Amino acid sequence: MLRSNIKTTQEDLLEKIQQTEDVVFKELFTKVESIKVFYIKTLSDEAQIQNYIIKPFYEIESPTLFLDYLKSHPKVKPFENEEKTLNQLLVGEVIVFFQAKIFLFDLKMDRQSSVLDTTVETTIQGPQSGFSESIGTNLGLVRQRYPQASLNMESSSIGKVSKTKVITLYDNKTVNQEVLKKVREFLETIDIEMFQSGEQLLDLIKKSQRALFPLMLITERADRVAINLAAGKVVLLVNGSPFAVILPTVMKDFMSSMADIYQTYWVGCFFITLRYIGLFISIVLPSIYVALTAYNPEVFRVQLALSIAGSRSTVPYPAFIEVFFMLIMMELLTEASIRLPKAIGPTATTVGGLILGQAATEAGLVSNIMIIIVSAVAISNFVVPVNNFGAAIRVVKYLLLVLSIFYGLVGVVIGFLLLVSYLVSLESFGKPFLTISEKKPAQN
Amino acid sequence: MNRYLLYLLLVNMLTNIVVYVPKILIDYKYDGAVSAILIAIPIGLFLCIVFCKSISAFPEQGLPEILDQLLNRKIKNIILFIFSGFWYFAGFLTLIGFTDIINRFINPEMSKVSLAVLFAIATCFIIQLPTEKVMYIVEIILVLNVPFVFFIVFKALTNEYFSWNSVFEVGTHLFSWPSFKALSAATYTFSGYMNVLIMNRLFRQKIKGINFIVIGFLSIFNMFTTFFIPIGFHGADGAQEYLYPWTTTADCLRIPYGPIERVIFLFLMLYIGITVVSAAIHWHVAFEFLKGASSKKFTKKKALLILIIFSCATIISEMKITAVQTMFLSTYWLILRFIFEICVVTFVFFLARRKKNET
Amino acid sequence: MKLKRNWVMYLIVGMVVISSLSGCGGYKDIDKRFFVVAIGIDAAKSHTKKYLISLKFAIPSVEKKPNDFIIVSEEADTMAEAVRIIKTKVDKEVDFSHAKVVVFNEKIVQKKMEPHLIYWFSRRRDIQKILWTVIGRPTALEVLKTKPKFEQIPSNSMFLALGKEGTETPYIFGEYLFDFKKRLIEKGLDPFMPIIEVKKGLLVINTAGLFNKKRLKMVLTPEQTKLLYYIFNSEQKSAIKVKSRKLYFIIDTQKIKSSYKMDTSNPNHSIIKTKIKIKGRLEEAMFSPKNSELPAYEKLAEKDIDKQVKNLLLKLQKANLDPIGFGLYYRARHFQNNDWKTWQHIYPNLTFEVHTDVHIEDTGLIE
Repeated sequence: MLRSNIKTTQEDLLEKIQQTEDVVFKELFTKVESIKVFYIKTLSDEAQIQNYIIKPFYEIESPTLFLDYLKSHPKVKPFENEEKTLNQLLVGEVIVFFQAKIFLFDLKMDRQSSVLDTTVETTIQGPQSGFSESIGTNLGLVRQRYPQASLNMESSSIGKVSKTKVITLYDNKTVNQEVLKKVREFLETIDIEMFQSGEQLLDLIKKSQRALFPLMLITERADRVAINLAAGKVVLLVNGSPFAVILPTVMKDFMSSMADIYQTYWVGCFFITLRYIGLFISIVLPSIYVALTAYNPEVFRVQLALSIAGSRSTVPYPAFIEVFFMLIMMELLTEASIRLPKAIGPTATTVGGLILGQAATEAGLVSNIMIIIVSAVAISNFVVPVNNFGAAIRVVKYLLLVLSIFYGLVGVVIGFLLLVSYLVSLESFGKPFLTISEKKPAQN
Repeated sequence: MNRYLLYLLLVNMLTNIVVYVPKILIDYKYDGAVSAILIAIPIGLFLCIVFCKSISAFPEQGLPEILDQLLNRKIKNIILFIFSGFWYFAGFLTLIGFTDIINRFINPEMSKVSLAVLFAIATCFIIQLPTEKVMYIVEIILVLNVPFVFFIVFKALTNEYFSWNSVFEVGTHLFSWPSFKALSAATYTFSGYMNVLIMNRLFRQKIKGINFIVIGFLSIFNMFTTFFIPIGFHGADGAQEYLYPWTTTADCLRIPYGPIERVIFLFLMLYIGITVVSAAIHWHVAFEFLKGASSKKFTKKKALLILIIFSCATIISEMKITAVQTMFLSTYWLILRFIFEICVVTFVFFLARRKKNET
Repeated sequence: MKLKRNWVMYLIVGMVVISSLSGCGGYKDIDKRFFVVAIGIDAAKSHTKKYLISLKFAIPSVEKKPNDFIIVSEEADTMAEAVRIIKTKVDKEVDFSHAKVVVFNEKIVQKKMEPHLIYWFSRRRDIQKILWTVIGRPTALEVLKTKPKFEQIPSNSMFLALGKEGTETPYIFGEYLFDFKKRLIEKGLDPFMPIIEVKKGLLVINTAGLFNKKRLKMVLTPEQTKLLYYIFNSEQKSAIKVKSRKLYFIIDTQKIKSSYKMDTSNPNHSIIKTKIKIKGRLEEAMFSPKNSELPAYEKLAEKDIDKQVKNLLLKLQKANLDPIGFGLYYRARHFQNNDWKTWQHIYPNLTFEVHTDVHIEDTGLIE
């Protein structure tokens, strides 16, 4: 490459980039040679620039030797074209102009490399740290937990504007090739401007199919990723997000917490059973209440029927309005406690939950039994370990509630049946959503 | 063991309560029901074995594909249309019968039509799924429900008001000449295997003998429970007075310490699932037959049209038909079905022969 | 995939449309219902009507005040009429789904009982088939009105006693509606009903009334009732009083099992052999019992019970009543179509053999 060419490249680059105060373009001289470095201060690590570029430049006496140093340094990539160079500059690489050559020196500053504690999927025992927000660190974490030579990765970028780096990880030995193909196709078809985090994929799937249930698992735990890699699943790591996406995901995965494998076998079984009971309660309890009080009080024992009738006798409106009212209040409380700063969160819940409930019963707006039901629903809803799935369940119970208002007990049972059928009809990247055992239930 | 074959039979065994089989049998309790049951077991088992053995000549193929190979287009379409009509009617009767039960025992003030709408929607949602998924749903529902059904049967048999002497008294009428109506009602227990005409698409291997042994025992157990438990509760002389002997029997049970004291509600809730699944199997088979009969590519519009016709026909007839008429219809449908079943088994048997000769 | 998505949409839209059309038929809140817990049937005081029907409604407790009820009565010729009129007297929907007891006045069942009285209950879907049928003394209304102090929920003490969830005594055997109806029709098995008597504000259940197919024929004494229930195999916990010339003691039973066999090989001399096995402990004695003499006590007890049971069976035979179901037993074991007719000839001439087998384990904690 000719010197004049370099000149133009250099000028082009300078021209394209806005001259803000964190853009650095500097020429360094010795007696014999000069070097130009071009970088963005806020993205690149200046201490490393000092160490890797400036120091050697002054210490290595012969220019040819310095050129060799640059050429052989593992962090250095040669220049390909202007477009790419500009992109690399924007993510923090240092561009070095030396003699007639241009080098890209990868001296990115990794600001978010600190490993975060798990906050969403907490367990009592087992590893306590999750992913960081840096893709490199995350990859390292996965590699560390999954030291297999067959671990393969494919890099791609998603987002027209954000150009976010996404790494598809899988174990070549265990992965289902068809699933892999479907995942690749899915990633290619994504059409989005800003891609920030894996959770957005859920939304993208929704836009194409309008699914109610999440069909991919979002996790912040490296141990979960490792265990799923071993099970032959595909993992997506997204730059800048401390969450990994696991595909394909079936309902069983949503109902399992990492804590299960850190328990003894029967305790683990008990917890899983408990979760399914919680799931069932939070789906059907409100609608069962409406169906039984308004259509079939004969299902209760006479003693219970009388006490429900007694506690409802001050309530001026029908049972379903009571249920809707309380459920909406509960949802509002849940939403509010997420938005509120951590310090006042608990206070708000206490004030809202306890005092509101108490006052509402005393004012005769809702019955005592209703309060029990709503709290049971709320508590059992949060037994579901994966947040996305829990949210879907929160919605489902309203559908059942509507059916129960119009059809009573029959509506609830049919609604549940429809829900099961709907779950059966779902597929996550070729895998039936309600797969019970990982081994495909082979006929005969 | 072939799970799916077992499920198909089990669903039929469980739904026979809905299509008035116990009522018909109990009506003939002194006039040949017992002997009919005893004859029905070998007949049903024989038909089932012949059918399954014959169809295993066509692994992973449903009737439409089989006919494609062996018959010309027109005959094939005619056969498929007739068949799908039969299967549609089977599901139709189950739904109509059960809507009436629900209407009587759970939602007495709701119009039957709106109940029928609900049931039809649920059924239609299931039938348009792929065959494999339909069977998944069947499996899930059975796994959830059958333990409770067994619990109810157990509760009934150990009840202190259950009068074994009434059962024996009916048993002493063993030697009366079997009634044809009762026989055709009793063979309904077995007729789940007919759905294999489509579900055979999922059967990769031949059906082994052990399946038939299990089916044999299940069917004996099933017939005796359907027929004798109501008699034990309502007496040899009085049981025929009830329109729904089994549902009324469930109402005679009480779980003193259970969360639901009256077993009838447990029973009906279980049966909602079982009935919908049963109707869905039949309609799914009918749906697939129509799919196979359609000449050009089967579009989604066509599928939707079929579903709408299926459900509307049910809903409209629900407006016109009464429970007594349904019972009358069921009785004669059971007879017709029995004859039809024999024809189909022979037909499939010859198809299998023809295929063997060809190869 | 596309079809599926459409389906969910159609489903939801369809559901909403259809549901709003149906207008939630039958929606009625629990507090808008008035639960009938017990039904009483008495003879009407006026001559124009036949029956006095009373419904006992439970009033839901609002401020933790237990046991409130109201009884609404109406004279009518049929059940249905009475209920229709009572409906106009209360503000809420009359709900029979929790009716658990029907009390018949003794006088009503002593007259020729009209079947529609029982069939009305069986025919209605909302009345449980596990409704207890009892005879009330002095009147059904009186039984309904009685409110023992310990009762928390209207009529609950009756439910607990009849269902044996509370007290367990050998004098009570609840008779359900379906069983009563079965016995009313079944040839060779006659109906019975426990009798509830109001005594000093308490409800006493220790006797039973026996029916033929038409009316109440006989009322047993408490002891006879107990023995009858022994043959029904209904209760294991019981106390047997043995009284001979010298000794007087009481056995606390742990196990009672009875069975009977019929020998009809000789048509003129048919025998029913009844066997009762009793296992228990000596609970109280008017003398000082010894463990070594237990066999002697057993003998005494056996003799005593033999006699009592035989008397009961003969009494039943004389009245041509068959609550135990010997006739059905005979029918169940004979293949002839006319077995019922044969039985009718056999029963009056039947001889009974009773064999009791008492086993006293010990004399309790002390000798």
